[in-house]
Amino acid sequence: MAVIEFYPIADSVYLSLIQSDGQLGLGVYRTMVSTSAFWNAMNISVLYSMTSTFFAVAIGLALTFILGQNLRGRNVFEAFFVFPLAAAPIVVGVLWSPAEMWDDIQTFLHFILHLPYFNELTPAFFFPVMTYAEAWEWAPLIMLVCLSIVNSTPKAIYEAADVCGASAWQKFRTITVPMIMRSPVMQFVVVLRFIDAMRAFEIPLTWSSWVGYSATVGAPVDSLSLYLYKLLFIPTFGFPVNLVSAMAVTLFGVTLVGAAIMFRLTKTIGGS
Amino acid sequence: MAGQNAKDSPQPPNGRSRRRLWRRVVLYTVAVLFVLNSFWPILMMALTGYGIDLTPIFSGKAVTQVAGVPFYSGGIFPTPAYYIYALITVDFPKLMENSLIIAFISIGIALLVGIPVGYILARVPIRGRNVIAYLLLALRTASPFLVILPLYITYTRIGLYDTYSGVALAEDMLILTVVVWMLRGFFADVPKEIYDAAAMFGRSEAQIFRKVILPIVIPGIVVTALFGLVLVWNEFLIEETLTGGATKTVSVGVWSGVGDTVAVARSVGWDDLNAAGALAFIPAVVVMLAIRRYLARGFSLGQAR
Repeated sequence: MAVIEFYPIADSVYLSLIQSDGQLGLGVYRTMVSTSAFWNAMNISVLYSMTSTFFAVAIGLALTFILGQNLRGRNVFEAFFVFPLAAAPIVVGVLWSPAEMWDDIQTFLHFILHLPYFNELTPAFFFPVMTYAEAWEWAPLIMLVCLSIVNSTPKAIYEAADVCGASAWQKFRTITVPMIMRSPVMQFVVVLRFIDAMRAFEIPLTWSSWVGYSATVGAPVDSLSLYLYKLLFIPTFGFPVNLVSAMAVTLFGVTLVGAAIMFRLTKTIGGS
Repeated sequence: MAGQNAKDSPQPPNGRSRRRLWRRVVLYTVAVLFVLNSFWPILMMALTGYGIDLTPIFSGKAVTQVAGVPFYSGGIFPTPAYYIYALITVDFPKLMENSLIIAFISIGIALLVGIPVGYILARVPIRGRNVIAYLLLALRTASPFLVILPLYITYTRIGLYDTYSGVALAEDMLILTVVVWMLRGFFADVPKEIYDAAAMFGRSEAQIFRKVILPIVIPGIVVTALFGLVLVWNEFLIEETLTGGATKTVSVGVWSGVGDTVAVARSVGWDDLNAAGALAFIPAVVVMLAIRRYLARGFSLGQAR
């Protein structure tokens, strides 16, 4: 099984080493380093991952706080909060599109509140929206993990806080949040979320068609996966197999080392 | 909450209960806002697929007086036509069938590998456990193109392109890490005492695994399998690149046009797209709601018991 699963990776390394003259060598990697669109995509992806992971944790914690307040109908709220987790990423891209959502909001702001229209097509607007959409989908998973950590926290701690007269917000801030953040489970899930966001493809793909970047590279929506996809499937680039392999291998190296460092720091991988 | 205002006790009880009431109101408002945040986009999709566009209402000008008669000038033309079109006229059921077959094959393979590996990672102290864990993680950190490109080339050469097993194998590279990790969590959740008790009766490792541990973990395996099913059902990039006309799946169909039987670009109607998206969403959300309570346990690494 390991052979089957790791064969493509070995094959990718081999493909990336074939130069344009047919010899084996590092020529393709030299081309890669001098490709500015690649570095642009790298920047976009890192920024995208960091922002969306931050949003996801923030939303997840907010949902956890609400569900911890003994509201009537807690189960109904919880069920609604889980909904986004079931949406396909490609559908999430559609859900948060201008046509589905922002046009309505524009209309409301303009005709009811008499505000001027804002431009939906500038990176300053759509980049945060993209990252929020990514976070929107995965925040429920963070919430579920937080809830399970809260459930396994000894009740006595909260009772002690009650005796001291702590408010709900104080209890959340001084007990629940540190409890969640120090949990290896949470750290693992957050690191996994960051890694997954580095491969984000569907939401940037939908946005590249909303804002008209479908046929160009180096655009502000180009995450790494989207950039490689465009390189392969836009005919003018001539199916640069070796270059794409080289980029994929490089990314693999970078994320692998990054993940190893993060897991070493959080000590989540070894023990159980 | 009980002793919330213990410090400012001179306050009359009336003021305290009013403050508590305010607190409830604010909390419920925030909760409802978050429900809207989670549910509004999905509702919009379902309504758009039903031919309902609420934009005119948001302008406040949906209903105007024309010659003294209220006249509706908006975009609300409710019709099940788009859903029916997706379900009956075009081959959405075929796409669903493709998605399900691919999902079941890849989950089957993932469980076959994942159950022993998850068990080993959770319980059996062999050398190289961490190496296996790192390798699994490596699979997850890999850029999808690391997998797609060689597979695309190899598949077209050996005739696996656009076949169920080919796509399912590629999907496994994506879900295997998650499946093994969740199974590891569920195996680690089994109290050590049960394991020790079984060992005391002189059972072999294999017997303990099959007769004692496995039956306990069956619910966990089911949850893992269902979560994996949803992941594969929703996956887009691998399915988009490795499926052609014969094995095209739901998530690909939603984006590139439900009616296609060949892989050509086609402009997709907005209402069609929304109807198909809503239809694809329904089975996934049913599964997610069913397993939500158990999902986090799988990620617990055996620590939250």
